[in-house]
Amino acid sequence: MSTKKKERIVLEHGTGGLLSQKLVSEFIVSILSDLYLGKMEDSAILNLDTKAIAMTTDSFVVDPIFFGNGNIGKISICGTVNDLAVSGAKPMYITLSLVMEEGLALADLSKILKSIHDTAKEANVQIVAGDTKVVRKGEVDKIFINTSGVGTFGNNRERLTIPLIQTGDDIIVTGNIGNHSIHILSLREGLGYESRVLSDCAPLNHMIDEVVERAGKGKVHLMRDLTRGGLGASLNEIAFGCKRNIEINLDQIPVQYETRMASDMLGVNPIYLANEGTLVIFCDPKSTSQILKTLKANKYGLNSQLVGKVSKNKESVVFGIDKEGEKTVIENLYGQELPRLC
Amino acid sequence: MKKYAVITNDLQFAAAHKHKERRRAVAKFLPKQGEFLKKMRTLGVSIIHLQLVVSESDPRSKGISDELKFTEGSKGVRILEDVLAKSDIVVKKPKDSGFFNTNLEDVLKKLQITDVIITGMQTQICVQTTAADAYFRGYKVLVPSDGVVSTRKKDTKRALEWMAGYCATVMTLEEIFNYVKENLH
Repeated sequence: MSTKKKERIVLEHGTGGLLSQKLVSEFIVSILSDLYLGKMEDSAILNLDTKAIAMTTDSFVVDPIFFGNGNIGKISICGTVNDLAVSGAKPMYITLSLVMEEGLALADLSKILKSIHDTAKEANVQIVAGDTKVVRKGEVDKIFINTSGVGTFGNNRERLTIPLIQTGDDIIVTGNIGNHSIHILSLREGLGYESRVLSDCAPLNHMIDEVVERAGKGKVHLMRDLTRGGLGASLNEIAFGCKRNIEINLDQIPVQYETRMASDMLGVNPIYLANEGTLVIFCDPKSTSQILKTLKANKYGLNSQLVGKVSKNKESVVFGIDKEGEKTVIENLYGQELPRLC
Repeated sequence: MKKYAVITNDLQFAAAHKHKERRRAVAKFLPKQGEFLKKMRTLGVSIIHLQLVVSESDPRSKGISDELKFTEGSKGVRILEDVLAKSDIVVKKPKDSGFFNTNLEDVLKKLQITDVIITGMQTQICVQTTAADAYFRGYKVLVPSDGVVSTRKKDTKRALEWMAGYCATVMTLEEIFNYVKENLH
């Protein structure tokens, strides 16, 4: 019986036997098609055009696995592509590991793989190696995905790291914060926001390339994608790393009205909510207007805002300043604000 | 033309009897709620009860007596007799908001409802999410400050403030009855 006819993942799909091989060669590879470069050998051998590479890995366990404008497959590519791109690297190669629960519908797996294909195509990355495991019912929740990625620094690409941050740098946030968390949580609990607030999940590498290129050499100092812990946790990590204070104008932080509404209802601060397609950028103030212009011309950067500055003070504290000019400390996040969002 | 419906949330045996504090809070709230619904029925206002129904595999169904379960056919899932009349409509729901994966919006559209009065328990969960969802869908939302209940009073207070700020007009049951009566004639 072919894997397509079985309709659901069974334990035998993970034994390494004929059914496993069919799952990979007939089902997975056929969906990933042009983006899959694996040779069905123990490792992929790749050519690189650079002396330095960026590498990253991430595991994705989002619940629910399908959401309004994406699924766990899309997140698994976006997360790794964005992690590579914010370092200044050009994302090139991705590995894909699927841990599937016995009983997962093949139709669901197909949708997830289709999203992986489409997102990888948009990001212009290739999937060079993969692995599948099947576990018994209850040992994972439907499907968990791990992706690792390699990016290159060819053509004199700049490496964006914390030591490049300077006093007086402007701080830009590239989109509305908190939407991914509120969307997922609303779907999970039926809170009523799921069709109003959509996930921001997106591959941002092309937008990042445009920003760095148009800003000019040395003008963009650091980028971070604001995943778990959100803007609040990232800013604290950066302030600690660059040994400077950061001042953020709270009213300038882009937050969709419904997201603010939901956050207020849930008693959570959107500044700590996870995002899957929003960045913070530290840059030379001379390039700020050019960067904002570039961002706002991109579909993933329409709501970009200048939100703050790096201060000369060196206590590594992040301050939020309200419209009356009152300063409060934006503390680092202790623990996790909301579970299993990415 | 204005057309009103009262939507109650989770006025079910399991929710009303969850624990001692809940029973106490509901006992205070229920007589007034029952009276309000009776009066609204005399005005011809539709009463829609949102009934939480979860699956047997739901963690909330594990290790508890039948009276405290929200599963189909359990004693707990029943709508409280104090608030239920034959003419009322019951809409089953799986989650917090009454609109989430339910036919509530179809029911409201069929009845040509323009304004919804959202009542029941708990204020900070189902009432609040249903109110927000109704607002998003273009309904005018009225919430009676004495027609909603939570185990803890402070939760109701905070949720009412939130709804008044974002999506609803908060009035008393009596004010709402008078308002609807005036606007019907």
